[in-house]
This record gives sequence, structure tokens and C-alpha cells, in this order.
Amino acid sequence: MIRTGLKTFLTSNFDIDEAEILSLIESCTVKEVRKNQFLLRENEHCKHTFFVEKGLLRQYSIDNKGKEHILSFAPENWFVTDRESAYFNQPSKYYIEALEDSTVAMIDEDFIQMLSDKIPNFTHFNNRLLHNHIRQLQNRINLLLSAVAEDRYLQFIATYPDILLRVPQTMIASYLGITPESLSRVRKELAQKNFKK
Amino acid sequence: METKTVELIASPREPHFVGDGFRVHNFIPSGYRMDMKRMDPFIMLDYNSTYSFPPSDKPKGVGVHPHRGFETVTIAYKGKVAHHDSSGGGGIIGEGDVQWMTAASGVLHKEYHEEEWSKKGGDFQMVQLWVNLPKKDKMSAPKYQAIKYDDIGRYDIEDNAGTIEVIAGGYKNTQGVASTFTPIHMLNAKLNKGGKAEFEYPAHYNTLLLVLEGNIVVNGTEEAPTDHLALMANDGEKFEIEATEDAVVLVLSGEPINEPIAAHGPFVMNTREELQEAFNDFNKGKFGYLED
Repeated sequence: MIRTGLKTFLTSNFDIDEAEILSLIESCTVKEVRKNQFLLRENEHCKHTFFVEKGLLRQYSIDNKGKEHILSFAPENWFVTDRESAYFNQPSKYYIEALEDSTVAMIDEDFIQMLSDKIPNFTHFNNRLLHNHIRQLQNRINLLLSAVAEDRYLQFIATYPDILLRVPQTMIASYLGITPESLSRVRKELAQKNFKK
Repeated sequence: METKTVELIASPREPHFVGDGFRVHNFIPSGYRMDMKRMDPFIMLDYNSTYSFPPSDKPKGVGVHPHRGFETVTIAYKGKVAHHDSSGGGGIIGEGDVQWMTAASGVLHKEYHEEEWSKKGGDFQMVQLWVNLPKKDKMSAPKYQAIKYDDIGRYDIEDNAGTIEVIAGGYKNTQGVASTFTPIHMLNAKLNKGGKAEFEYPAHYNTLLLVLEGNIVVNGTEEAPTDHLALMANDGEKFEIEATEDAVVLVLSGEPINEPIAAHGPFVMNTREELQEAFNDFNKGKFGYLED
């Protein structure tokens, strides 16, 4: 199989030659998942961080009324995992599902350790990724608590520029914590401002 | 003058649904060797081979989506399609009609089976083609050419061999009604059994034949059955097709634009930056708004 995703991610972030990267990523399994297939279900133990080489995943929970709440989307070059389950050994509260046929690198702790041992600066870089993720989560909490629907939407399109065409509007509304009607109103108002016939 | 030979005969790939109304075999760009570069200026070809849709009160189709940087050409062989866009435009593409939509700087539209047709259902056969635009025209204003079947130029071949219907470009003394940004020939060759037709295009033009009905033989030797595509090589100018039974063949030939192509989803631009701008403009409503 041609492994472009993870290889490109690593070569573009580290000064390391391609042959070495190829030998390293050999020990990381890759999974092909079909649309609507799950990588994680509620109450399972999450053993991996999923890196999306191709396709699109979503992480969500289902509340006791049966309503879905989307925490994140993960398109190409994104990581997604349940950290509480993977790092604190708790049963998961979440589902991780493919929204498109996807190719996913299954990253486990051994693989991270190996990269830390073999690649100078990897630990520093990995910390940076972690900080970036926390930053994004903080922004997300802040927007959910304080921002109007339009600002949440504008942040969403800045984070995920090419997702609007790939997922149903109801899922975007779920991610933003607004109703589909509000999302439709926001998009209509933006178009009225920005569309020149 | 050299013979333009057959480079490959492509069988239709596994069909997939675009929305719930178009059951298509993709030929360009994802199959065989027919990527955007090789087929330039024809950058996408989806073929809905004859498929019977059951009656439906709710018209099937494909919901709101944008395009930028190219033209979409829809040729309706069987069935009817209705379309609407965010500028308030719309129309019906009836059997035999051609809709040539220049998306250029941006169109947001949706396409569905026409309501009355949908209620009855029936055989549906259609081609959707994307024609690339040169860099200088990618951000020009969108426009439509709604070409009715009766307005399409016809050339009757001698000895009752059949008729060539010219959508764009020309055949002998007959000109097509569609205006194009770069040199393109688009014809339907409707040949009677045993009928032959000759074609002549510059060697460097990318040329293909899609067999919609019947079976043909190209240059006397290469058989192309129904629903197959014959890709012509860039090695000569002249070729001939012969119908071994009554046949309808879509003939496409175009001069390659030879500019860089950056494509993602419904946008086909020259650079990655222009693609990002297209997504950004779409997300921010610059293509307008249209209810699903």
C-alpha cells in the first residue's frame, strides 16, 4: 500500500530522510474503514490515536435522550482519540465513526515511544501538538459558552475549510451546539452580506 | 495525414450514485489513464448509462453544491432534469437537450429529476462533462447556454449512413451552436447499421468516443460496445467509425489548455491558493445561498 499521509506528515515536520521514515512507519498498522464503520464505540477501551491519511472521521457522544453531540471532525492529516480511555484506561464515552471510506493509521503508545527514541525533537514536537490541541479545545469551550452562532460558524470554517461540502448540515449544527435552522439562518445571512450577483 | 489510432477501450467502471438521482460510471479523471492532464480540457466525465428509475413523488437528484473554475455540460439522452441556482436562475433539460453551464467564478446549484418526469419514472441516460477553462477565464461571470434539441445543427451523411448532430465545434459544413472558450468539438454521431463516419482533428487534440447505443468498430479493427469509451491516441488526425448495429456515439475532441491544474471537490483552479480561496468564498456565502 502507498503510505503517503503519515509519511508526508513526518517528513514535512522533521529533518529525517525518507528511507528512515518508511522503516519507522512500517510498525504502525493501517486500517481501511468503510463509511459508517466504527473505530470506537461507547464503553470500549480506546487503544489508539487515529491519524487520518484519507477520508473523514467524527467523534461524538450520545446522551440519554438518544441525541448525538459531535466533539470533533477529523479530516486528512488530523488526529483523533479518546484520551481518557487511551491514557487513563477508562471505558470510552464516545463513538469514533468514519463519515467517508477512510484510511487510518493506528498509532499506539509503543509507536509514539519509538518515534521519541528515534527522532530528535519528536518529544518537543509532540508536546507542541498537544498544546495546540488544548488551545483548540479551550477556544471551543469559550465559543460554546459565549459566542453567537455566526462566530461559532466562522471559527468552524476556519478550522475545517473543506468540510461543509462533506457532511450533512445537521452534523455541523450538532458540532456548533445550535439547531440546523440557526445554522441555515447564519449561512443565509452571510450570503446576503457577501454574495454579489 | 496519419490515422489517429485507438489508445484504449475502457469498459464502464462500477457505478456509484451522485446524490440519489444519478447512477454514474466515472471515466474521467479517476479511471484508467484518463486523468485531468491526459484528457485536458475534458476534466471529468460521469456517464449515467440507461437506468430505470421507479416513479417517485419526491424528485431524486443532487442537492446544493458549488462549482468554480470550469464549465459543466449536461447532455440528456433519456429523462429530464430540472436545475436551480443561487442567482434565481433555473430551467429544464429535456430529452436531447444540452445544458452548457459556465460556472467560472462560481455557481451554487442543485439538480433534480424534473417533477412530472419523476412521478412517472422511466429510463434515464445522461452524460455530465466538466470542461476546463483557461486561467484568464476562470473568474469570469457565470452564464448558461440552454441548447434545445431542435437547435442542434445536423449533418446528414451520404448513403443514408446516419446523422451527425453538432453541439459544439463543427462537422464538415455544419457548425455547433454552443460557444466555447477553447477549441472543442462535441457531436452526437447517430449511425444506422453499417453506416460509417469519418472524423478529422489535430493530433494533439484529446479525443474520445463514448458509445451510448449499439456497437461500433473504430478504424476497421477496434470494437467498442455499448457503454464503452474509446480513447484516441495523439498520433494522427483521421479516424473512422462504423456502426455494426444502429448506434449513438458521443464524440469529443478538444485542444489541451496545458496550464497547471489544482483540483479539489467541485473546484478546479490553477494553484492551491486559488483552491483555498474557493473553499473560503464558498464557506462565507460568496456563492450565494440556496435551500436544499
